[in-house]
Parts: sequence; structure tokens; C-alpha cells
Amino acid sequence: MNFKIWHKMIIGITIPSLIALAGGIFTYEYINDVKHRHGFVEIADDLKGRALEVRRNEKNFLLHKTDPYYKYCQDAISGFNNSVDSISEEIVDQIGKDDFLLLRHSTQAYSGLIYALLRNYQQETDVIERVREEGRKLETFVASGKHARELSINFILDMRRWEKNYMLFRDKASFDKLNLSLSLFNNIIPFCFECARYTEAIHTLFSVYNEIDTKVNDLQIIGTKLEEITNKIASRERQKVSDFFTHTQRLLLMALILLCTLGPLIVYKTATYIVAPIKRLADITRKISEGDITLRAPIREHDETFTLAVSFNKMLDHLQLTQESLEKSMELLREKQEEAEKRASLGFLVSGVAHELNNPLNNISLTAETMKEDIKELSPEQMAEYVQDILAQCERAQQVVENLLDFAGARKSSSKNNLNIVSVVQESINLIANQLKVNNINLRLDFHDSILFIKGNRSKLEEVFINLMVNAVHAMKDSGTLSISIKPDSEINNVFIEIGDTGCGISQKDLKNIFEPFFTTKPVGEGTGLGLSVARSLILEHEGEIDVDSTEGVGTTFIIRLPLIEGSV
Amino acid sequence: MTDKLRLMIVDDEPIVGKRLKRLLEKEGYRVETFTDGFTAIEELTKKKYDIVITDLKMDHVDGIMILETAKHKNPDVKVIVITGFGKKETSAEAFKKGAFDFIIKPFKFEELLQVIKKAGISLEEGLL
Ligand SMILES: Nc1ncnc2c1ncn2[C@@H]1O[C@H](COP(=O)(O)OP(=O)(O)OP(=O)(O)O)[C@@H](O)[C@H]1O
Ligand SMILES: [Mg+2]
Repeated sequence: MNFKIWHKMIIGITIPSLIALAGGIFTYEYINDVKHRHGFVEIADDLKGRALEVRRNEKNFLLHKTDPYYKYCQDAISGFNNSVDSISEEIVDQIGKDDFLLLRHSTQAYSGLIYALLRNYQQETDVIERVREEGRKLETFVASGKHARELSINFILDMRRWEKNYMLFRDKASFDKLNLSLSLFNNIIPFCFECARYTEAIHTLFSVYNEIDTKVNDLQIIGTKLEEITNKIASRERQKVSDFFTHTQRLLLMALILLCTLGPLIVYKTATYIVAPIKRLADITRKISEGDITLRAPIREHDETFTLAVSFNKMLDHLQLTQESLEKSMELLREKQEEAEKRASLGFLVSGVAHELNNPLNNISLTAETMKEDIKELSPEQMAEYVQDILAQCERAQQVVENLLDFAGARKSSSKNNLNIVSVVQESINLIANQLKVNNINLRLDFHDSILFIKGNRSKLEEVFINLMVNAVHAMKDSGTLSISIKPDSEINNVFIEIGDTGCGISQKDLKNIFEPFFTTKPVGEGTGLGLSVARSLILEHEGEIDVDSTEGVGTTFIIRLPLIEGSV
Repeated sequence: MTDKLRLMIVDDEPIVGKRLKRLLEKEGYRVETFTDGFTAIEELTKKKYDIVITDLKMDHVDGIMILETAKHKNPDVKVIVITGFGKKETSAEAFKKGAFDFIIKPFKFEELLQVIKKAGISLEEGLL
């Protein structure tokens, strides 16, 4: 995805914020809903209360049976109806449309029953009045004795007592006794006009009571049902709210967990996403700083690091170009220097030869000129001296040429034989032993009388060792120790010969020149400066190496490495 | 030429001094020779020389040091430098330091004599 860093950052911050915001809104909505539902619970409770009120008024009405109680009853019913209306939708939700309609019908029926009961109660009072009146008339009629003898006044009085009991208790026992008396009464006098009115009144009372009883029964059934329904609604609403609470709690917990896990995850992801290209760049720069200048930063992202990477790479290109051109110039310079060194070395040789030859030549020429000038004045002794001088200078010049030829390696035979290097060194020591004694120099040898074969030229190698030993003797003047060691190294099949002295040492400045031909620090006549350069060219001829280690005022050690013949150790 | 010119010859090759002394004295100069730079410098501080002839390459004290000391003691002195190396650099340095002329070994005596004579003339001119 091609996002800039700040886009990524905005995304990284926005996503968790959005989660939190969504959680907040969600919670707010839920709390609102809870509040709403709580209102329903209250109304449902109210509905339940109203139903109870209706039942209470019903009881009172049934007890008092009068008009005012009827009114109270109807008021309670309309209160209940209002309550139902206010949460009708909720109720429909809960108990369904059919049951709701049933509820409506039930309340209507209930109200109707109450009304009918009121009517019946009024009827009851009338009927009771008539029963009592007819009863009294019957009593009077029987007392007058106008009727049959079978009909005693006591029977009537008993019947009236059953009548009163029935009206008072309205139970089955009283009813049965009254009904029995009545049928007995009818049997005694079947066709009695006065009697018939009383019987008829009693029967009406029976039917009224019967009606009332059924209605009361119906009323109570409906009332209980109403009560049940409202109870159910209230408790269900309560249950719903509590369910709702648990649900909400669970949801909130989940949202919290989500925020706690997903939030940091998203922040972490975006952070790494942002840092990744920077990290890549940092990695590359580290690798480059470690030396690999040919590496380049990857140009992948289209964010801020893109320009950084591009400029960085450009910088590296420059750097690499500069380095390459630098290396090229260095190479050129090195070549030039090598050439200059070669030329200087040759120059050193030529001017050295010139100096070494010019001096004897000059001496010869001056001596000859003097002789020519003064030939007549010179005594034979002087003449002899002059000639001797010329001969000596000739010899000196010849020596220089000889040394030069030695240096060029052209004079001596270059044939090589199998040689025991130990014996060559020993032979060289023998040759200068006398000189050591004269100069009071100790000799310390560090090698065994073993056999180490090399391929070489005995006289050339002897010359090398003698040159080095003579130099050491010169450096120590007339006291010191000359140490000579021979150490084979079987691993690389080489032998190391070390010649060390406790002499004056070589200054840092001279150290790089000592192997140059004609470099010498010794007075004229004592050294030509060819010893070491000859030694080096001879050792190189033997495929070896010569090296020096010197400290001014302490001493000098020359180390020679020569290859051994395979398997000679 | 009223007075004999005083010449100093410094060369670590003893034959040079010996032969030149004999030849130059015959030409009428007063000649003193040294094979060692130290004694030569000591002499320079003690006596006054008109012309100094010195070898350039010597151990310890070289010709340039002789030239410098001589010029320091007596700015009018004529110094003639001799060398076995025909090196331009050293001759250039010698001229810069006030050498009168430069002679390369091996040389003919006549060559040196001409230079000494020129030096003598330039000395006289300097006096006038
Ligand atoms: N063992 C040493 N201790 C101190 N200096 C040394 C030693 N060996 C060589 N040198 C230095 O290296 C210089 C070069 O030595 P090299 O043997 O080439 O010439 P030389 O001894 O001067 O003359 P010659 O040609 O007679 O040997 C010497 O003049 C001396 O200064
Ligand atoms: Mg030597």
C-alpha cells in the first residue's frame, strides 16, 4: 500500500479511537434503552397495581352491593384500561395480538358483568322484599285458619325460618331445607292461590340468586385472569430488563477486551509499518558504514523515506565514484612512485659508482700531472712513491668494478649444489674467527651440528654471511657479542639464519637505505656500501629473503630465510 | 701580486692534498692541506684564508659545512667546491651558499688553476 507516514499514523490513531467511540455510542444507546425499558417496568408495575385495585373494589362491591361501590368499581376498571392503553404496544409485543384482544374483551366483559350484577342486586332487594311480604301474608292467612287443617302455623313458621336462614347463609343445606319445605307445602295444598304467590316469589329468589352466583363466579374468574396477566406482564418486563442488563454487561466486557487486545495490536502494527522502511534504511547505512559501499537503499515505499532513500543512494553513487577515481589515482601514483624509486635506485648506483671511481681516477690524474710537471726534479724514491700511489689507486678502482660485478651477479659461477647450510655458516664463522678475537668479541652459537640441506652456491652464501658478520664486527668496534642461530621450520620447509650483534644499531632514517648499493656510513676506504646490497641480491638468487631488525644503541639482527630441500628436516 | 694568497685545501683523500700542495706552491701560493673537516674548521677560526678548496662529500664534516664556516668567518673568502658526484642539486646548493665555483673530479690541474686565478682577480677587485 502506498501510504505516507502521516497517513499511516492517522490510521494507527483513528482505528482504536473509532473502536472506543463505537463502544461509547453503543453504551450510550444501551443506557438510553435501559432507561426506556425501566419506564415500561414502572408502567407494568402500575398496571399490576391497578388490577389489584380493580379486584379490591370488586370485593367491596360484592360486599356492599350498592351503587357507589359499583361506581368505584367502574372507575378502577377505566384506570386499568388507561394503563393498558399507555403500554398497549409493549403488551402486544409480549403477549401477542390475540391475547391482547382477549385482554381487552375480558375487561369489557368484566365491566359488563359488574353492571349486570348491579342490576341483579337491585332485583334481589325487590325479590327479597316480595318474599318477605308474601311470607307475612301467608302467615296471616294461615293464622286466620281459613285454609285446610293440614296446614299448621308451625309448618309455615318453620318454612319461614328456613327462608331466613337461606337468605342469611345462602348455602346448600339451607337451600335444600327450604326447597324441601316448599315441595312439602305444595303437596299439602296443591291449589292454593295465596300460597302460590309465596312459592313463586321464593322461586324468583332462587333464580336471582342463581344468576348472581354465576355472575360472581364469572367475575372472579375474569378478575383472577386479569390479575394473572398483569402480573405476568410486570414480571416479564422485569425479567427482560435484567436480561438486558446482563446482555449489555457482556457486550461491554467484550468491547473492552476487544479494545484492550485489538487496540494495542493495531497501534503496534501501524508503528512497525511506519518504522519498517526507516529501519531498512538504517540497516543499509550500517552495512555501508561497515565498508560495503556498493550497497544501495531499496526504493520501494512511496512515503517520506522514498526521497530520503533516493538522495541517500545518489550520495552513495557520488561516494563510490569518488572512491573509484581516488583508487585509480592512487594506483597511478603508486606506479609513478615505483618508477621513481627504480630510477632513484639506479641513480644512487650510478652516482655511487661515479664517486667511487672518480676519487681514484682523480688521484691517479693528479699524481701523473705532478710527475709530468716535475719529472726532472723528482728523486727516484719520490718517483717510486708516485708510481706506487698510481698502482694503489688503480687497484682501488679495480676493486670497485669487481664489487659492482659481484653486485650484478655476473662474476662468480652461479652453479648450485646441495649444501648443508649448517656447515656453510660454520665455515663462514671460521673465516672471521681471527677478526673476532682481535676485536674482543664473544661468539654465541645457537644451532646443532645437524644437517639441513638447501640448494645453493657455497661461495656466494659464504660471502653473504661474511658480509653480515663483518658489518656486525664494525658496528661493535672492540667489545660485544655476535650471536648466530639456525632454526629450521618444518611446517613451511624453510630455514631461518639469524646474525645478531650488540653494536651501535641503525637509525630509522638509514634503515630504509642500507640495502641500496653504495649506501654506507663508513669513512672512505673502509666501506663501499655494497656489502648488504650484494647480500640481498645473492639471497634473492637463492629464492630466500633477508630482513633486518635494529634498535639504535642496542643492536642489530639480520634474519635470512632460505628454502630447504623437500624432506631434509 | 704583492702578497702570496693563502689557500686551504680540504679533502679526505690524502693524495689530493699532497699533490695539489706541491703544484700550487710552485705557482706561488701559500697552501695548507687537511684530510679531516674538524681540524680544517678549527683552522678557519684561527687563521684568515683567501681561498678555500674543499671536497664536498666527506664523513662527519662535509664540504657544505666548510663552506658555511669559511663564509661566516670571512665573507670575502672564495670557496671552490670539488666533488666526485656530478650532481646538479648539490652544486646548486653550494652556489646558493656562496661558493665561487665548482669543479668535478677527476679534474686537470690546469682547470683548477684557472679557477683559482679567477678567484684571485675577483679578490683584488673586491679590495679596490
Ligand atoms: N650490523 C650493523 N650494525 C649497524 N649498522 C650496520 C650493520 N650492518 C650494516 N650497517 C649499516 O649499513 C651500511 C651499509 O652496509 P654495507 O655492508 O652495505 O656497506 P658497508 O659495510 O658500509 O661497506 P662494505 O661495502 O665494505 O660492506 C653500513 O655503512 C652501516 O651504516
Ligand atoms: Mg659492509
